[in-house]
This record gives sequence, C-alpha cells and structure tokens, in this order.
Amino acid sequence: MRKLLVAVAAAALALTACGSGDSGGDGKVTLTFWDNNGGPAREPIYKELISRFESANPDIKVEYVGIPSASVQQKYDTAIAGGETPDVGGVTTSYLAHLIGQNALAPLDDRINGGALKDKLLPSLVETVRQTAPDGKLYIVPSSANMDVIWYRADWFKDAGLEPPKTWDEFITAATQLTDAGANKYGYTIRGGAGSVFQLITEAYAYSGVDNFFEGGQSTLGDSANAELVDKVADLYKKATPEADINNSFTQMIAQFTGGSVAMMHHNLGSYSDVTKALGDKVAAIPLPVGPSGKRTVVPNPTDGFAVFNNSEHQDAAWKFAEFLTSSESNSYWNEKVGQIPANTDVRSAPWIDKSAHVKMALGILEDPATILVPAPVYLPQYSSITKADSEPLYQKVLLGETSAQDFLNGMAEKLTAAQKEWEERN
Amino acid sequence: MRTRTWAPYALIAPTLVLMAVFLVYPIGSVVYYSLQRYNVTQPWKNGFAGLDNFKQMLFDDPLFWQSLAFSAKWVLVEVGLQLVLGLVLALIVNETFVGRGVARALVFSPWAVSGVLTTGIWILLLNPSTGIFQVLSEWGIGSPGTSVLGNPDTVFDALVVTELWRGVPFFAILLLADLQSIPKDLYEAASVDGANRWRRFTSVTLPHLKDAIILSTLLRAVWEFNNVDLIYTLTGGGPANQTTTLPLYVARQAVDSHNFGYGSALTVAGFLILLFFSILYLRVSKFGSRA
Amino acid sequence: MTETLGKTDTLVREVVDTTHRRPPVKRRPRPVAEEPGKRWLIHLPLALYLLFTIVPFYWMLVFAVRPTGSTQLVPWPISFEHFDTVWNDIGFGVFFYNSVVMGLGVLVFVTLLSVMGGYALARFKFRGQKVFLLAMLCSQFIPGAMMLIPLFVIFKGLGLLNSITGLVIAEVAFQLPLSLILMAGFIRNISVELEEAAMVDGCSRLRAFFAVVLPQLKPALVAVGSFAFIGAWNNFLFALMFATRQDKFTLPVGLSYTLGEFNTDFGALAAGGVVAAVPVVLVFAVVQRFLVQGLSAGAVKG
Repeated sequence: MRKLLVAVAAAALALTACGSGDSGGDGKVTLTFWDNNGGPAREPIYKELISRFESANPDIKVEYVGIPSASVQQKYDTAIAGGETPDVGGVTTSYLAHLIGQNALAPLDDRINGGALKDKLLPSLVETVRQTAPDGKLYIVPSSANMDVIWYRADWFKDAGLEPPKTWDEFITAATQLTDAGANKYGYTIRGGAGSVFQLITEAYAYSGVDNFFEGGQSTLGDSANAELVDKVADLYKKATPEADINNSFTQMIAQFTGGSVAMMHHNLGSYSDVTKALGDKVAAIPLPVGPSGKRTVVPNPTDGFAVFNNSEHQDAAWKFAEFLTSSESNSYWNEKVGQIPANTDVRSAPWIDKSAHVKMALGILEDPATILVPAPVYLPQYSSITKADSEPLYQKVLLGETSAQDFLNGMAEKLTAAQKEWEERN
Repeated sequence: MRTRTWAPYALIAPTLVLMAVFLVYPIGSVVYYSLQRYNVTQPWKNGFAGLDNFKQMLFDDPLFWQSLAFSAKWVLVEVGLQLVLGLVLALIVNETFVGRGVARALVFSPWAVSGVLTTGIWILLLNPSTGIFQVLSEWGIGSPGTSVLGNPDTVFDALVVTELWRGVPFFAILLLADLQSIPKDLYEAASVDGANRWRRFTSVTLPHLKDAIILSTLLRAVWEFNNVDLIYTLTGGGPANQTTTLPLYVARQAVDSHNFGYGSALTVAGFLILLFFSILYLRVSKFGSRA
Repeated sequence: MTETLGKTDTLVREVVDTTHRRPPVKRRPRPVAEEPGKRWLIHLPLALYLLFTIVPFYWMLVFAVRPTGSTQLVPWPISFEHFDTVWNDIGFGVFFYNSVVMGLGVLVFVTLLSVMGGYALARFKFRGQKVFLLAMLCSQFIPGAMMLIPLFVIFKGLGLLNSITGLVIAEVAFQLPLSLILMAGFIRNISVELEEAAMVDGCSRLRAFFAVVLPQLKPALVAVGSFAFIGAWNNFLFALMFATRQDKFTLPVGLSYTLGEFNTDFGALAAGGVVAAVPVVLVFAVVQRFLVQGLSAGAVKG
C-alpha cells in the first residue's frame, strides 16, 4: 500500500511538472490572440483565418485563445492588473472604454492611415469607436458591427395573415394577436434579465424618435415618449409574453424562441446562426419598428474590433495580424459566416451580402441618409454600471408593476447626467 | 496524548507554508482595498477612503442588509435540508439490500458534476418551453409555460431544490463514511439492553456522528454562503434583487461595476460575520468535547 | 468517553474470544431490509430520491444525443453531431487531459497533506492548535473571485502562470482546509487505544499509524480524496484566469464555451457535459464501494 502511494505521488508530480514552458527562439515571432467570444461557432472561423495568415507570413505564428464571452471582461481586467495581456485581442466597444481607462491599448490611427485600410472602414463604425476614447483616437480597428433586429416567425405570421410590423403599434397588435397562452404560444419575449436595459434603451429611442442622448448636458432618457414605450412593453408582460421573461438572460430568451413558443424576439444579427440552425427558413428579421414620429432613430449596437495591447513585445507583427483580419477578404469571410455587418467597405459588393437578407437590410438602414444614429455614451466609465448593475433589478420592478416606468427612467437619467457632467469637466 | 515533540509541527508545516504564501497576501489585499476607493475604470478617483466604504455599506445601502438577510435565510434552509436528507440517505444506503451499490453510486453522482454543467442542466430543465414543466403539462399535469424562476412566489423554492440536488450528496457521502466507524457491537449491546430502532439511533448513532455533523454543517454553511454560481446563472439575483445574496452582490460590484474598493468592503463584512458565527457555533455545540 | 471506549474494548475482547470458541452466530441486530413489512421504509424514499437525482442526468443525456431540431424525449435515435462539435470544434481532448492531470495531482497532495495535518490535530495537543484550526476555517470565508488579482500576481512572480502545476497548487491551497478538518474528525473517531497498544509493543508511531490507523481510514480517504478530485475537476475560475494559452484550459472552461453571447448550443453543452461527467461518475461509482467497510469492520484487527 505504501509503495503504491509513493508511486502515485511520484507520477502525479512528474505529470504536473511537465506541461509548462514556452517554445520559440528560432527567429519566429509568436503572437497570442484572444477571441472575446470563444466557442464552437467562432473558433473554426478564426482557425481558418489564422492558417491563411501564417501561410502568407511564415515567420509569424499566431496562438489562438478562446475566452468565453460571459467572463471576458473579468479575464481582461485580471490580465491587465497582472501584466499578462495578449498581443492582439478581440474587444467590443461596450467595454472598450474600460480597457482604454486602464491604459492597456495602443492607438491605431497612424497604423490604419498608413496602410491598406485607409478610408476603407465604415464611417459610422469608426465614429462609434472614436467616441469611446477621451482623446478621440481609435483604440481598436473595427471589424464587424451588429444591429438590433426583431427575429420573427414568418410561418406564424403567414398563418395568421399578418404582415411583419413596421410601427410599434402594429408590433403590439401583432404580439397580442399571436398570443395563445393555453397553447403556450406568445407573441413576444422580453429580455428581463442580464442585458435587459441596454435592449430596452434601443427600443425606447426607436419609438420616441429622440435623436440625441444628451440635450444641453441633460440626459434625454427620461423623456416622456421613452417612458411611453417602456410602459407599453411592461404592459405586454404576462399578457403577450411568458412569465419567465422577467429572468431572461440571452441564454434563456433564445432557448424560448428556438424552442418554438414565441413569435418575436428582439436581439441582433449575432444570433443569426443560432436561430437559423434551430428554425431554418421559418425565421426572418425586421429592423426595430418606428414610433409615431416616423423617424428612424437607431442606437447602434456595440462594434467589434481588434486591439493591439501596449504590453505586447511584437506590436508591429500584432498590427499586421489585426490588419489582416480586417482586410477585405478576411473581413468578408468572417462576417459572412457569422452574419454580421462587415466594417471593410470593399466587402459591400461581395455576392453573399445580396443573398443574406438580414445583413442587406441592416446595411441598408445604416447607409440610409434618413437614419439617425443615436450613439449611447459608452465612453462614460459608469455607463455599464448605471445600465446594468443598478438598473436591471429596477426594470424587473417595473415589469412586476412595483415601480413606474417614468420613475425608473428618471433615476437612470439623473445618474447619466451626473456622469456626463463629470466627464465634461475632466475633458 | 500530550507530547512535547516537534512531530505535530512537522506534520502541519507544509500546510502552513501553502496557506501563508497563497492565502495571507490575497486576504491582506482584500482588507487593504476595503479601505480604498478603488474603481479600476475611474482611476482618477482612487485613493485612501478610510472607513467610508464601511459607513456607506452600513448606513446608506439597503441592499447590503437585504442581501445579508437573504443569505442567512438561504444558508439556513439549504444546509438544514441538505443535512436531514443527507443523513436519511446515508442511513438508508448503509443498510443491506439488493442493488445498494448501484443506489449508492447514483445517490452520490450529482456531486461529480461541474458547476457550469449543473447550471446548464437546470436552465434546460426549468425552461418553460423545453423543460420538465412543459412535458408535465403535455401529460396533463400543471399548466403550460410554467416558469418557476420568473415567478417571485416560486423562485426561492425552485432555487432551493436545484441547490439541494447537488448538495445532499456531500452530506450523504461524509455521514456514510462516518457511520462506518461506529463499531457494530455497540448496536448489539444497545439491542441487548432492550433498545428499539429509534433508541439505538439516538443513543448510539447520533452521538457518534455529532462531531462530523457539526463540522460538515459549518463547512457547508460557509460554502453555501460564498458560492453564487447557481443563483447567478439561474436568476442573476432577481427578480428585482429578491434572490441576491451578499457574495452575489459583491460579485456584481467588483466585476460588473468594477468597484473593487466597495466590493472588498462587502467581502470584509462577510468575512467578519462568518468568523463571528463560526466561533459562536463551535462554542455552543461544544465541538470537540466527547459525551 | 473513556467509559464508552472501555465498553468497546471489553466487547471487542469478548467478540474475539467468542469467535475463537464458538461457531459464528448472527451477531448484529437484523437490518431493516430483512424485516418483512419494513422494507418499504428503505425502498420508497430511496426510489423517490433516485428519481430526483436521475431526472437532470436523463435530460442532459437526451439533449446530448438528439439531433438539432428534434423534440424527442427519449435518447433514440442517437446523433453524434454534438459530440463531434465538442470534441473537434472545441478541442475537448486537450481539456480532458488537463483536467485529469490536475485532478490527480490535487487528489494526491490534498490526501497526503490532510492526513498529515489531520493526524496532528487529532492525536496531539500542541500550542497554537486552536489558532491553526481557526485560520484554516477563515481561509474559506473569502470568495475566490475577490482573490483573483492578488493570486494572479503571486503566480506570476513564482512563474506558475499557465501551468497545470500552478493550478494544482492553487486548488490544493483552497481545498486543504476543508479536507484537513474532515480528516482530523475521521482520525479522532478511530480509537486511540489500539495505536497505544501497538506502540507499547514496540512500534514507532509511524508504524503504528500504518498498521492500525490507515486500514480503518479507508472510507475517510475515499471521501476526502474524491472530494478533492472532483473539486479540482470542476474548478472553473482559476483554470480560466491563470492560463493564458488555450491548451492549458480545463473541461469546465470548455463547457462554458457552449454558452456564449451569440452562440448558445445546448446540444454541445449537454454533450460536453456527458464527456465531463460520465468518467467521473463512473470512477466514483467504482470507488465509493470503499466508503463502506466490509462486515469485518470495527476494531477487530490487531
């Protein structure tokens, strides 16, 4: 027995001792690349792009590390605090400001302008990225954009003889009509859990037609038209939406939609592969409906991009890789597979865009001169805590009828105004 | 055995070294940050804050007290139920019957399942459209679209059940192992003395298990207090903060809001509370003293 | 206590004597299962509880093997597409290996150190004993997430980032307090008289330990060892945060890939879950046999 124990211990020690250590030292540069949304859908796409890059650049090797999207902010924060950042990382504008605030990223304006990407990036995306930085510089090279859409069950609509809604009032009518609680079928599903308020804000501004987040330094979130929409949505809860909604994070919301119990779901192009895998051609997408004003006011979704980290020892090689990923061929490949809007304008003429109804529709909206973009103030460091940690529970209270929509919005508006004031004073 | 040898110190030395290196510094740093204003994304505001964080926590933060109260309720209910069920199960699988090996293996198996997986399975199970309630309603039991997690009246019970699923095996395993060390002849002696099954249980089994029960409930209580993965994923602390425990609140502050200073203060509060109750619990239950 | 021990001792001697003198007689009170009419006391609650335990596993199995888009409730026909996704697209093979190595490492060191420390606590009275106990208890009071950054800094300084060794050390440090305290409890339960008898006979304390204590410690070793292994197998936070290369991640990290913001693949999660859970459940099923000592249990050795 004793001999066995010793043998096992020795084996364990031996096994654990090996397995660390870096390779390299033969003139080759090894880059680490962190994918901010690692998973079975995206990893093969990056692996393909990486192998293309490595064939074209035999002296650079790229190591792919997939980070689960739910933990990516924590992972970046820990890495920055501990000084172990990658060379290139995928970053979304929703937390870009945090990384910039920690001085982790290198500005990319000169690199972009000095290379093949000059003037090739969608202006609206570039503008969104600039807005996240106090000095207005580009800290990521935008690669992909998303847009809010309503995924809807084309087959249900057809059976009921309904047209997909263009205005919010039509939307509410459709949702109510398609609801049959006894058969566990509902017209709509509200995202009431994690990530709820951000989506709610896009809905509110789409309805109210308010075209700016701040008017004279004051947040416009508390506008009565915004409150009207929140009231209408909260009204649908339990009447045209499942009771479970109040807790719905993305995972639960999409499980309901792909499970077939809901007619319409508000999310964005990113869930394209999930919904089509489950529902095939029964599902289609429409943009967010417009409100009584008829204006199309869009709060843009976070933009995806690639950042080069300050601590990287191979910044030139890192940039080469990032530039490659956003070159027209790679950008087209990636966005086609994922179903999102390519940042590289050369991709506009690619044949797959015409065939992809939802991307075409989204691009159309972004390029339409009548569309008004209302960028959310993600540059405010407190933006995510105001619209997440503080407000998500309060929104649930609105759904439960314990708080009024107007009070809820006013509370947020006050905090946003204060944060904005602080921001302006500092810059 | 009272000895003056160096033997005990040598035996605990490696453990002490590990603790010193890997726990003293991190704990110290949490205490340090609790006295700071430290927000990772607004570094211009960082600085010494003295007891400000604590003052805010105690006097200006109703969610602190609410989450503390909920934590207490959660721990008491969970540990109590897990203990009782675990004990009953341990007693049952301690008996001889056909198939007891299989039964034992099955009873213990939820323990082997990872947290990420447990939450994933329960999301599927409790999902109103693809979960068990949907299936039941198709068979005529209950109504379609039942959402136990969305309903403020049922959410606590649903969470209790999901945590029970993976917590009971802990007690079952431990208590079964402990039951093994009761000499069978004690039972015979008691039976010869005329004791029935219940008396044998209370006079032989329970006293022998006393220390194990005290320890395991304390350790499990601490674990349940601090562990948030199930609640975080199933309800996020909702609806409307109804199921927010103190550590969940800490996680939201430190991770979502990047407010590390305040999060550290909340952690220190949790630490002190746990320390206080542990000492109290051990004293009152006279742990270590034998009947 | 001495009283009860004395009684046991007497009983032990009696039993030993009797077995040498008379043919074996049924000595124990009849177990419940042999009493007619009382059998339901065991079977009913057990059956109910087993149902409760199995349903989630069954759900996972169904989701893992059913083709996308189907809503069947039985695991037939079987589709291996999710397993393919999980093994090939996510690369579960590497994660599996890492988890196994880490689990074994933690198992060995936690068991070893907790037996050592537990023995010290149980058999000695030494200065600082209570403080030691309290200190270990205290180490459990802080959630891991709050210690991430200081731990990261320490690991970086020691060069332990991105290594399974580092993960093993971290996990051992966190699991040790609970295991040690539990082990101390188990050892305390083993009567000290036999050990003392052996030492009086000329054994060193170490030999007495191996001859007397260790055989009786089997259930405890199984319990503590399996807690340690399973804890390590299921650790998510440390594995994710302390590794900077994909080939150092463990199974739980791989599982969390299936629940991304834009790719929620419940089939893959379930399949990954089967890969992650089945081996452990099987090994555990085999090993838990040792949790229960045979009929020759008790202090009859020696």
